[in-house]
Amino acid sequence: MLQNHSMKTPEIFQARYGARAARVGSSLPRADALAKVTGREPYACDFYHPDMLWLGVKRAGVPHARLRGIDVAAARELSGVAAVLTHDDVQGSNRQGVVRKDQPVLVDDKVRHAGDAVALVLAMDPASLARALELIRLDLDPLPGVFDLDQALAPGAPLVHGDNPQGNLMLAGQVTIGQGLDALDDCAVVVQEVFRLPRQEHAYLETEAGWALWDPDGGLTITASTQTPFRDMAEVAEALGLERDQVRIKAPYPGGAFGGKDGVSVQSLLGLAALAAPGVPVKIWLDRQESFIASPKRHPARLAYRLGAGQDGTLQALHAVLHYDTGPYDHLGGVVATLGLEHSGGAYVIPHVHLETYAVYTNNPVGGAFRGFGVPQVNAAMEGMMERLAGRLGMDPAKLRQKNILRPGSLTPVGVTLDCSVGLADCLEQAAGHRLWTRRRPWKAAAGPHQRRGVGLALALHGMGYGPVVPDVANAKIELSDQGRLVVYCGVVDMGQGNASTYLQVAGHLLNQDLAHLELVLPDTARTLPSGSSSASRTTFTYGRALLAAAGELKVRLLKRAADMLMVPVEEMTLVPGAVRHLTSGRELSLKDLAGFMAGEERVAVHSFRAPVSPQRPSDDPGLTLHGLPHRIFSFGAQLCGVEVDRLTGRVRVLSLVTFCDVGNVINRQVLEQQVQGGAAQGLGYALWERMRSREGRIIENDLSTYIIPTAGDLPDMELVVVPGFEPEGPFGMKGAGELPTDLPAAAVAAAVADACGAAPNRFPITPQVVLELLHQGAARNLA
Amino acid sequence: MTRVWLPSSLEELWPLWAENPGAALYAGGTDLLVRRRAGLVRPEALICLERVAELGRIEPDGPEVFLGAAASFSRLLSSPLVTEKYPVLAAALQRIGSPQVRHMGTLGGNLVTASPAGDSLPPLYTLDAVVELVAVGATRRVPIAEFIQGPGQVDLRPGELVSGVRLPATDGNLQHFEKVGSRAALAISIASLAVAGRLSDQGEVLQIKLAWGSVGPTVVCAPAAEAALQGKKLTPETLAAAGELAQQAASPIDDLRASREYRLALVKNLLLRLAP
Ligand SMILES: Cc1cc2nc3c(=O)[nH]c(=O)nc-3n(C[C@H](O)[C@H](O)[C@H](O)COP(=O)(O)OP(=O)(O)OC[C@H]3O[C@@H](n4cnc5c(N)ncnc54)[C@H](O)[C@@H]3O)c2cc1C
Repeated sequence: MLQNHSMKTPEIFQARYGARAARVGSSLPRADALAKVTGREPYACDFYHPDMLWLGVKRAGVPHARLRGIDVAAARELSGVAAVLTHDDVQGSNRQGVVRKDQPVLVDDKVRHAGDAVALVLAMDPASLARALELIRLDLDPLPGVFDLDQALAPGAPLVHGDNPQGNLMLAGQVTIGQGLDALDDCAVVVQEVFRLPRQEHAYLETEAGWALWDPDGGLTITASTQTPFRDMAEVAEALGLERDQVRIKAPYPGGAFGGKDGVSVQSLLGLAALAAPGVPVKIWLDRQESFIASPKRHPARLAYRLGAGQDGTLQALHAVLHYDTGPYDHLGGVVATLGLEHSGGAYVIPHVHLETYAVYTNNPVGGAFRGFGVPQVNAAMEGMMERLAGRLGMDPAKLRQKNILRPGSLTPVGVTLDCSVGLADCLEQAAGHRLWTRRRPWKAAAGPHQRRGVGLALALHGMGYGPVVPDVANAKIELSDQGRLVVYCGVVDMGQGNASTYLQVAGHLLNQDLAHLELVLPDTARTLPSGSSSASRTTFTYGRALLAAAGELKVRLLKRAADMLMVPVEEMTLVPGAVRHLTSGRELSLKDLAGFMAGEERVAVHSFRAPVSPQRPSDDPGLTLHGLPHRIFSFGAQLCGVEVDRLTGRVRVLSLVTFCDVGNVINRQVLEQQVQGGAAQGLGYALWERMRSREGRIIENDLSTYIIPTAGDLPDMELVVVPGFEPEGPFGMKGAGELPTDLPAAAVAAAVADACGAAPNRFPITPQVVLELLHQGAARNLA
Repeated sequence: MTRVWLPSSLEELWPLWAENPGAALYAGGTDLLVRRRAGLVRPEALICLERVAELGRIEPDGPEVFLGAAASFSRLLSSPLVTEKYPVLAAALQRIGSPQVRHMGTLGGNLVTASPAGDSLPPLYTLDAVVELVAVGATRRVPIAEFIQGPGQVDLRPGELVSGVRLPATDGNLQHFEKVGSRAALAISIASLAVAGRLSDQGEVLQIKLAWGSVGPTVVCAPAAEAALQGKKLTPETLAAAGELAQQAASPIDDLRASREYRLALVKNLLLRLAP
C-alpha cells in the first residue's frame, strides 16, 4: 500500500554499467546517478497517498517572547482540519538537541527565535491547512532580544536560556601552547585583523520533508530527509515519550543536506502528528521560505587575529579570538566552535598560541552544521593573515607558506602531533609549480580594459570524524540474498556525496562482483545497523572500514561453503561475478544456488568499526574534549584562484580555480571530483555572494531571489590535482574529502581579490561594493 | 480554481474580457504569477495573451519595426529585426532572467509591470520607442517616456491593452547596454545603462541618448549629460563629466541588493565603459 523505497540499481544503469567490475580505483559513475537525474529516485518529499493528511507548522514569527497561551479553537472547528496540536499534546520531554537538549519540539514556555514551532495542524488538503494555520492565535508576551554578539555578551543582557550558568555563552574554550600571548611581544612583525563571516544557508534542492505512520500495534515509522536516522530515533522517542523500539526511521537519499539535516528538523513534528492520527499517513514538506526560517545555518562569525613572525617569515605566535553566533539553540554550535578552534591556526606550525573560542546564544536564526563545520570561517581568517604577513614582509605568499606548513610529525597549532598521512607539502609544491601561479604575471598583464586580475593561493586542513570522546562507530552488514546478489545494508546516509555507491564499489572489489550482482539497502533503523551520522567527512572512512571487514568475513564463508559442496580444497576456489569457481576444474556454483544451501544467518556478515582517536589532550578543559578536540586524521589541500575584477562595477569573476588535495588514496576519481566541485561552488558562493542577514532576529534575504547562490554562469571551470597519498588507517588508504573543498574558496578568492585590488578584504561575502572600496584603498596605497 | 481563458485573436478576446471584467490579463505570467503566489493580487479569472495572433507579430512596418507585446523575449532574440537593428535592446533582453524566463516573459509584461529594474525599458527609451495601445475600435500611440508614469504606473486606460512597441528606424552606429546584477543570470538589475546614438568618423558625438535603469523610480534620462557629450569624443574625461551630471538626475535607493551610494557610483562608472 505505502510506497516502497526501491533499493535496486535502476535497470538502465544496470544495462549500461552492470557488467563493469566494481573495483576500487575505477572511476565508475555513481549507482544513484541515473535514477536521480531521470527523476525516478523517490525522495522523502515524493510520498503521496489518497488518505494522507497534510501537516503544517505555526511558527512564532517573533524572535523572543514568553508564551502565555495558544487559541486553537477556531482552527479546530474549520472543516478539513483533522487535528490541532500544541505542547500539551507532547507526552515526552518535549526537548531535542544533539549535545544539549535545549530545543523544544513545540514551544511550551518561551519563544527563542522567529522560526520556533508553536503549534501543528493536520488537515485533509493544503488549502485547509493554510487557513487553519492563519486562524491559530498566539498569545505572546514580547521580550527584549539579543541580536548580535556584543549585545548578547554585555552585562545584564536578556538571557536566551535563563538556566544556562554562563548566561548567553553557550560554550567557551581556550587553548594555550608554548608561551601563548607573551610570545607576540618577541615577534619581529605582528599583523592583526578582525574578520567577519556571514550566515550561510544550505539551500538544498529538497526542503525539509517526510511522512509518518503510527500503527498502534507496530509502532511509529518516520520516513524523512535526514542525515542522522539512528540519532533521530533516540531523540524522537525521548521527546515524544516513546520507547526507542517503537520508533523506526527510514532515510531515503536526501535531495541535498550539507549538514542542514544533521539533527531533527521535521521528524518529531511528524511523529507527534502521526500519533494523533493512528493508521493514517501524515506528510510535511516545508516550502522554501519556511525552510529558510526554520533550518540551521552556517554560523556567522567574528574572528579577531594577531599573528607574529620572525623577519624571515617563520611563524612564532598567534592570538585568535573566535566568536560564533549560534542562535538560540546548541544544535551543534559547541562542536562547530571547537572544530573552529582546532583549525584556527590553519595548516601551519606555530609554536606559541593562545586561542579562544566562544559560541554565543542569540535570538537569531539557529546556527548548526554546514559542510566545513566552523572551518571555512577560520580558514578565511588564518589565510588572510598569511596574505597580510606576506605583504608586510614582502615575501612570496607560496614561499612564506612553504616555510611554515605542517609536515608528517609536526605539531599542529593546538600542539598535537600529526599522526596521519600528511601530503600538504606536495599540494603546495604542485600549486606553486602550476602555470596559473608561475605564469601569473603575464596572465595578470593580459587583463582587458577596466579589468584587474589577481591570483590567490590558500591552504587548508580538515579533521575527520567525531574526535576523542563521542564514539565514531559504524556497523556494516552485508548479505548474500536468496537471489544470489550481495546486499550492502548501508546504515549511514548518502546525502549526495556518493558514499553509498562507494560502498558497492568497496564490496564489489573485495568480492570480485560487478554492479549487476550488488544491491544497496538505504538507512532504515529496522533493517540496517547504527553507523553514525552522515557528517564530519567520515562516511566512507568509518563505514568503509567496517564494510571491508564484514565483506572479508562473508567472502571466507562463501568460499568455504562452496568448497565443501564441491568437495575441493578452499584454496582452489575463487569468487567471480555471480558465482564461485573452482579454479582447477572450472566448475562453478552460482551465488544463487549457493545461497539456497545456506541458512539465513550464515549468509549475513556484520562488523563494527570504531575510528581511531588521538590520545593527546591539548586542553584540560573537558568541555573541549567532549566537543571533539583533537582529531586524529586530517585531509589537506591547496587552492589557486584566478579572478578578474571590474574596476567600474567591482564585479568579481572567478576565471579559474584549481584544487590540490591530499585525501589519501582515491577510490573513485569521479565521485571525488564531484565532491570537490560541489564544495568549491558552495565555497565560492560563501566568498562572493551568499549572506543571510537578519534584522531583529528576522531573516532579510528570505527567499532564493534575494539570497544569491551562484548559478552555472558564475562558476569557473575547475581543475583538480590529487597528490598521491595513502592513509594506513583508511579503507584502501583513503581519507575523507567531503568538507575540505568548502574550506578553501573564501580564502583563495580573498587572496586573489587582494592581489587584484592592492588591498585585502576582511568582510565576506566580498560584494562589488566592497571591491570598489578595496580598489580605492589599493590606489591610495599606491600613491602613498 | 481559477479559470484561464486562452483567446487566439483580439476578436475573441474582447467579448471574453467584457464578460469577465474581474479577469486579469497576462502574457508570460512571470510577473503576475509571482504576485499572485505572494497574495498581492487575487484575480477572479485569467485571460492569457500568449496565443493572441496580433500580439505575437514581429515585423517591419514601413521604416519602423513593430514588436508584438506578447512575443516572448526568446522569439524577439531570434529575430534579426531585433538583433541586427537594435543591438542595445537585444543585449538587454539577453540579460533578462534565465532561458526559462526569456521563453515566457514579454515586452508587454515588462512595460506594464513598469519596474524601475525592467531591463527592456532603458533601451526602449534610447530608441524612442512608441507604445501602441488597443481597445475595442480604438488605437493609441504613446511615447514610452509618457506611457511609463511611475513604478507600476502606466498610461493604460480601462479596456485597453498593449498591442506592441514601435521602434523608429535608426541610423546610429553606437548602441551599448550594460546591466549590473547580483550574479550572471537570474538577477534583478542593481543598475543598468543603455546608450544609442551616432558618432562621426572621427568619433565625435553627433547624437546620443542615455538611459539608466534601477537608479530612480523609473528610467533615468539625463539630457544635461547628453548635451555635455554633444560634439565631443568619448574620452574618460568627457564621460566622467557627463557621468557627474547624470548622478544629479538619478535618485537611487538603498535596498537589500545594493546601497544608494554604490548605485550612484555606477551611474557614472557605467558611462566610462564607452571610452575606447
Ligand atoms: C525568475 C524571474 C527572473 C526575472 N528576471 C528579470 C530580469 O532579469 N529583468 C527584468 O526586466 N524582469 C525580470 N523578471 C520579471 C518578468 O519576467 C518581466 O517583467 C517580464 O517582462 C514580464 O512579462 P510577462 O509576459 O511574463 O508578464 P505577465 O506576468 O504576464 O504580466 C505582467 C503584468 O503586465 C500585464 N500585461 C501583460 N501583458 C500585457 C499587455 N499586452 N497589455 C496590458 N497588460 C499586460 C499583466 O496584466 C500583468 O499585470 C523576472 C521574473 C522572474 C520570475
